[in-house]
Amino acid sequence: MADVSRCRATEELLSAYLDGELLPDELAAAVEHLDGCETCIVTMRQLGEVRAAVRLLPWLEPPAETYVGLHPGDELSAYLDGELTTAEVELVTTHLGSCHDCRNELHDLDAARTAVRALRRVEPASSPVAPAAAAMGRGRHRRRLTLATAAAAATTAMVLAIAMATGGGGAPLDRASLATRHSARTSVEAGFSVIPASVSLEGVP
Amino acid sequence: MAEQLVPAWEDVARRYGRQIYNYAYRLTGNRDDAADLVQEVLLRVKRGLDSYTPGSFDGWLWRITRNAFLDDMRRRKRRPTVALTELVAIPHTSTPSPDEVLAQVRLSDDVQVALLKLPIEFRECVVMCDVVGLSYEDIAAATKIPLGTVRSRIHRGRKMLRGLLSWPM
Repeated sequence: MADVSRCRATEELLSAYLDGELLPDELAAAVEHLDGCETCIVTMRQLGEVRAAVRLLPWLEPPAETYVGLHPGDELSAYLDGELTTAEVELVTTHLGSCHDCRNELHDLDAARTAVRALRRVEPASSPVAPAAAAMGRGRHRRRLTLATAAAAATTAMVLAIAMATGGGGAPLDRASLATRHSARTSVEAGFSVIPASVSLEGVP
Repeated sequence: MAEQLVPAWEDVARRYGRQIYNYAYRLTGNRDDAADLVQEVLLRVKRGLDSYTPGSFDGWLWRITRNAFLDDMRRRKRRPTVALTELVAIPHTSTPSPDEVLAQVRLSDDVQVALLKLPIEFRECVVMCDVVGLSYEDIAAATKIPLGTVRSRIHRGRKMLRGLLSWPM
């Protein structure tokens, strides 16, 4: 026959037992009692099912508006690249509707992204295998120059694109103010529009 | 040094928004109230982060959440109610059969209704433990009640639920 007082003492411990919240000596006592008490094992099973039922309640998603005040930050690039889920896109879009700073940031990111994407493709040398050391000197020097020119062109293109995006097509190029604006976000634009899709490299040295 | 341990508000919102929402929903059974609570908590977190001293972040956050919830309850001066039309569930599993979905929704409804019948002090401990997944220690920190009381409230809450749920055990 089960010892009633032992049963009562053990029963008090059963939820904490299921949750792994017993102290070592309590655990030892509970295990010792459970080993021979059918009644307490049944109680423990029932409590375990109640516990599981609450734990298995489905997780509900808060409505998107809940996060409208939240700045997307790093998610803006993923937003541009179409790498967000539908729910995330909806959230970011709603946020952009009411946040000037984020609209400006998206603008800049879009400009930078467009400029990088518009970079002229640099063709590899005709032979992918490294030429013999004797023939390398001039060729390698020239190739380095070409790459340097391409890098300069890329930088210029990016600055141009940012200037076009932020200051309108005809705005004068002012790197210092662009840099300040980009980091401090002091300037606020009246509206948000899609920037030119590509930047021409014609005439860029 | 210390600032590095203070989480950014955006991260808190992203990481805990869903938890706070589900905590509030399981306590109130009302989606609008739950959404309101998330916004209120995030606002309080934003204001409080400056003065947050690194320690048990969960204890700190859930204390704010609990206080916001209790303030809200006092303001409304009514017992939380459940609107059955709001009990539409998003199941965990990927592609359950329609029967499984129905059974799951029905079971969830039963559990939600039973939860709402618990006195609030038991309900909140059960929800913090089994919905949010907090340790007894974090629950004690959040509610400022002794650890032994947390333990007995969770246990008594579950026993009440056992009595309320009529499905065969």
